Amino acid sequence: MPWYLYLALKQLFPTGKKFPFFTAISVLGVALGVALLVVSISVMGGFGHEIRRMIVDTQGDVQIRGSGLVNNPKAIMGLVAKVPGVTGVTPFAEGVVMLEYNRKPIFPGIQGIDLTHINDVIPLTRYIHNGTLGDLDDDTIILSSQLAYSIGANVGDKVQISSPLQLEKLKNDEVFLPRELTISGIFEIGHQQLDSSTVLVTLRRMQDLYGLGNAVHGFDVKIVDGLDPDVVTRRINAALPPASGLEARSWMELNQDFLFVLQLEKNLIFILLLFIVVVAAFSVTSSLLISVVRKTREIGLLGALGGSPREVALCFCFQGLLIGVSGTVCGLAFGFGFLHVRNDILHLFTKLTGSQEALERFYQFSNVPAYLQPGDLLLIIASTIVISTMAGIIPAWRAARLKPVEALRNE
Amino acid sequence: MSNVILEARALRKTYLSGDRRLEVLNDVAMTVARGESVSIRGESGSGKSTLLHLLAGLDQPDAGEVLWAGSTDTGTGRRAKFLGMVFQSFYLIPELDALENVVMAMRMVGPVGSAERDRAKAMLARVGLAERAHHVPAHLSGGERQRVAVARALINSPQLILADEPTGNLDEKTGDAVIALLLQLCAETQTALVLVTHNAAHAAKTSRSLLMHNGALNTA
Ligand SMILES: Nc1ncnc2c1ncn2[C@@H]1O[C@H](COP(=O)(O)OP(=O)(O)OP(=O)(O)O)[C@@H](O)[C@H]1O
Ligand SMILES: [Mg+2]
Repeated sequence: MPWYLYLALKQLFPTGKKFPFFTAISVLGVALGVALLVVSISVMGGFGHEIRRMIVDTQGDVQIRGSGLVNNPKAIMGLVAKVPGVTGVTPFAEGVVMLEYNRKPIFPGIQGIDLTHINDVIPLTRYIHNGTLGDLDDDTIILSSQLAYSIGANVGDKVQISSPLQLEKLKNDEVFLPRELTISGIFEIGHQQLDSSTVLVTLRRMQDLYGLGNAVHGFDVKIVDGLDPDVVTRRINAALPPASGLEARSWMELNQDFLFVLQLEKNLIFILLLFIVVVAAFSVTSSLLISVVRKTREIGLLGALGGSPREVALCFCFQGLLIGVSGTVCGLAFGFGFLHVRNDILHLFTKLTGSQEALERFYQFSNVPAYLQPGDLLLIIASTIVISTMAGIIPAWRAARLKPVEALRNE
Repeated sequence: MSNVILEARALRKTYLSGDRRLEVLNDVAMTVARGESVSIRGESGSGKSTLLHLLAGLDQPDAGEVLWAGSTDTGTGRRAKFLGMVFQSFYLIPELDALENVVMAMRMVGPVGSAERDRAKAMLARVGLAERAHHVPAHLSGGERQRVAVARALINSPQLILADEPTGNLDEKTGDAVIALLLQLCAETQTALVLVTHNAAHAAKTSRSLLMHNGALNTA
């Protein structure tokens, strides 16, 4: 080991000293910044990840829609299924209905799903808590959890459904009877908006309610894991007949504004929290500067012993680097440690403040998700180490500028 | 001339303090042969430290030149190997224990392994500090610290030792012991010594005594 690296180490961790106080404070400052970065970026990333998962789980990787109805769903499905990379296609029809239970009307969104294909694209089974998807037929309905809770209905209860088409008939003084459907299941995606106001019926029931005949509104498509959805989307668009007026769009494209905001938020948080590291770096600079002034004579001695100004400078730069590396390691340990117990802390907090329900309502999650992308982790590590090494540059420059003679004369 | 370790030719050094020019060294010349010990005395402010810094290559003269074993290269690259220095204030590195302080000088010239460490231990034993190897400077007496500094100056087997009032901060008895040790070690290893001192008795022990006066160096 070159002498200047050895000396840098020893100045931070002097021989015979059990606890290097100055070093510990500097390292702690950097570590706090890193820990905060790791926790915030992980939680941001976790929310983002969760939201992406929900989007894909509820609309597939790619969605095909047209300007109007798709009258030949079978033919289109056949075409799309043959596109390389596509693993499943399922048609859907959607709308709004009036749902009545115990004379209490509500107006949820409704999705008609094709029972033979839905499982190829959307893992609904995973989200159905009461009952099973298998119990869904043309006379039954699946409610989202919040909706079921708000009207007080449960599996086995009967609800009345009326569609706008039927209400239209009312205008013409025609008699109509609402469809009576039995609740066969309750689903919960974990996303408050979807859980509060969606109901699922079979595609056939939906076509009946809306008078669609055999037509559908569009298709959800699932692709091979790991493939770029945009690439497959282009292939699907190439395969779709131009006259059909249909267009495939990837989930990223469909939600691009939302995803952009998500990314922007994360970047802003990153930059803001990085300033904590910068502030910590300033304190590293000032403590190293003090050490340069305090050690003026020893720096002169290093020259007398045969050290060059460049090596003396490296000695102080390396101290900045060492503080940066130690701070990063400690910060990662703090950060990941905190993430490990984040849900315990959250639950304790909500229990103490009785805010569990409010939390779920406003943040749509009952657990704090965390996901740190390897790229983000690397960015945190690299920027911290670069910043703290830069913190050593001013002291290093000061030390290198000291003339040995003057330093030795310094009493 | 291969026997001349150190040569100074027509050294001139002037300091500007305010608008006054202070001629500290005025045409100073000296030669030191291999293994020779030379003492320099002179009143305070006469320029002894200034001369020593020039001889060590730590400062540049306004005129004249310094030759180390016949070469004008007195740069950092050569210094660690060619010369060792001892100062009035001992300048040990406070974060390192006695042994590591000696080893630090070895790190300046090359990688350090267990052989080097053993050599440093032997050198500490040679200056009578075998038991103190793992004490930090703060836990050593002044005399002990100066002996560590002597060990550090000698560890790279230099050809020249420059000592600037090495006993200035020591009591008389301790000072005598340090000088005796320094002279003995230099004699044993055939190392040349330039000793700046105020002490006539110490100066008398060297093979040649010089006097610094009015910017010139004369035989005492
Ligand atoms: N950087 C400087 N600028 C101006 N004057 C200086 C500088 N360095 C030294 N001097 C002056 O040069 C003169 C010689 O100083 P030097 O330290 O060489 O004396 P010295 O013989 O070693 O004295 P002492 O015995 O007290 O150590 C002194 O008058 C000092 O004030
Ligand atoms: Mg002096």
